[in-house]
Amino acid sequence: MSRKQLDRTLLVLAALVAFALPLVVTSPTYLQILILLFFYAYLTTSWNLVGGFAGVLPLGHSVFVGIGAYTSSILTLQYGVSPWIGMLAGGVLAAIIGMVIGLPTFRMRGAYFCLCTIAFAEGIRVMVENIDNIGPLHINGPRGLLIPLKDPSFWNYQFMSKLPYYYIILILLILVLGLTWFISRSKIGYYLAAGGEEPEAAAALGINVANYKLFAMAMSCFLTALAGTFYAQLMLYFYPKGLMGLDLSFEIAFIALIGGRGTIAGPVIGALLLRPLNEFTRIYLSDMLPGLHLVIFGLILILVMLYLPKGLTAPLAAIYDRLARKITVQGDAK
Amino acid sequence: MSNILEITNLTKHFGGLTAVSSLDLHIAKGEILALIGPNGAGKSTVFNLVAGVFAPSEGTIKFNGHTIQGQKPWDLCRLGLARTFQIVKPFAAKTVLYNVMVGAFLRTNSTQKAREKADEVLVTLQLDHMRDMLAGNLTIADRKRLEIAKALATDPELLLLDEVMAGLRPTEVDDMIGIIRGLRDRGVTVFVIEHIMRAVMALSDRVVVIQFGQKIAEGTPEAVTKDENVIKAYLGGEYDAA
Repeated sequence: MSRKQLDRTLLVLAALVAFALPLVVTSPTYLQILILLFFYAYLTTSWNLVGGFAGVLPLGHSVFVGIGAYTSSILTLQYGVSPWIGMLAGGVLAAIIGMVIGLPTFRMRGAYFCLCTIAFAEGIRVMVENIDNIGPLHINGPRGLLIPLKDPSFWNYQFMSKLPYYYIILILLILVLGLTWFISRSKIGYYLAAGGEEPEAAAALGINVANYKLFAMAMSCFLTALAGTFYAQLMLYFYPKGLMGLDLSFEIAFIALIGGRGTIAGPVIGALLLRPLNEFTRIYLSDMLPGLHLVIFGLILILVMLYLPKGLTAPLAAIYDRLARKITVQGDAK
Repeated sequence: MSNILEITNLTKHFGGLTAVSSLDLHIAKGEILALIGPNGAGKSTVFNLVAGVFAPSEGTIKFNGHTIQGQKPWDLCRLGLARTFQIVKPFAAKTVLYNVMVGAFLRTNSTQKAREKADEVLVTLQLDHMRDMLAGNLTIADRKRLEIAKALATDPELLLLDEVMAGLRPTEVDDMIGIIRGLRDRGVTVFVIEHIMRAVMALSDRVVVIQFGQKIAEGTPEAVTKDENVIKAYLGGEYDAA
């Protein structure tokens, strides 16, 4: 068996396990935990397009989740548009707003860029919390939006069981992972990485760094907003502080940093580790101190940054490399 | 022979400091021109002006007959003007091959073609045996070579080399002289800033000397090193009597 075949077999196997998992996990509670795990893996993978590959650290991505949720929900509630169409509309709107935010902020480097994205995100959240209506659009201020139950159907994006949600987010995750894989191997990926690491050197090699970053930002925001619609339809209720706050933005960044920024598997590995931890601490420790899970995240982040600065993916990939070499060598010997 | 680069009356002020002042300079196609001068003479500023990092305060820069002053570095690179940096800037977390492919992508959208082009350039610069090493792990001599490889992968007509010999051992300097001669033989015009006089003497067809942003001498390497103004610039005026 060649290395390529081994990689492919394992990937297909992992996908099959993911698709077959609901056969074993039938409890809605656990299914919900898995759905949220994929939801976070999806969000972080989308974030990774700009936060990982383009080498900047945006810390306000929850705003785009919010834009997705609000756009599709308002369109459904007030105009009866299917959330599927609203989802695309939200994506486009998020991409535009992401570019508007990116245009001035991508000129900044390091911490200044982080702070600006936080400022933009918080600014938008506070505005949403304090505005009841934008023209004809009813956004309902801090109370958020409640999506009434409709006939469960694919077109209405509402279902009787958790199972369809599980498959929707799983397929979204696989698609965005595929997109990431494709980008990392194409000109855009090379240009983003180059511009992220050494902007001046990249410019001297013919790369308009700011344009490529804006493109990555638009893509990332578009994909992030799709998850917002998914969340709205899954929960059927959301409010600005819960959906657009910094908690969510930070958790996405935590997952990426711990899993491995700029790698394809990093967001998934990070989510696999941190999501169950998050659920566990929330269930068992939240009586003690709300927000304790973020403190624990912070501790893990410090440990990972100290001992595995590239995140968990790099050492795991090295182990896999060694195992794979053994397997393929043995295979070739036969 | 037509001129690939023509600089007329080039001037750059940084606040009250005039880094380059009314400089005229031209490079013929296929030539190797060296720009030398004491520290702080304005050599790197000239490079940065030509490569589009800064816009000049006054004057014109013509590349292949087109006026290019004020254009951005990435547009100039597309026109066929590539440069290296005095302080090398490799994409340290990536492999040598990856670094060169970033340059090669300028002329193609296909990853396959970029890889082929990069491999070809790595052979030219004798870096092919370390194509899978991380750029951050290279020695300074190899990093300087990588810097040239990245620029060369963009298929330039004019290559600006900013002190690619600095920090190299004498044998490495000899290798580099061979490499740069090889570039010229491939039809690339080379404009170098260099401090190592042995390399300047061996390489260049013509030398331009600047001091305080002004041209003080120009000519063949032999003529320039005998020029009184040049000797004064390097050794200081008080050595006149000696």
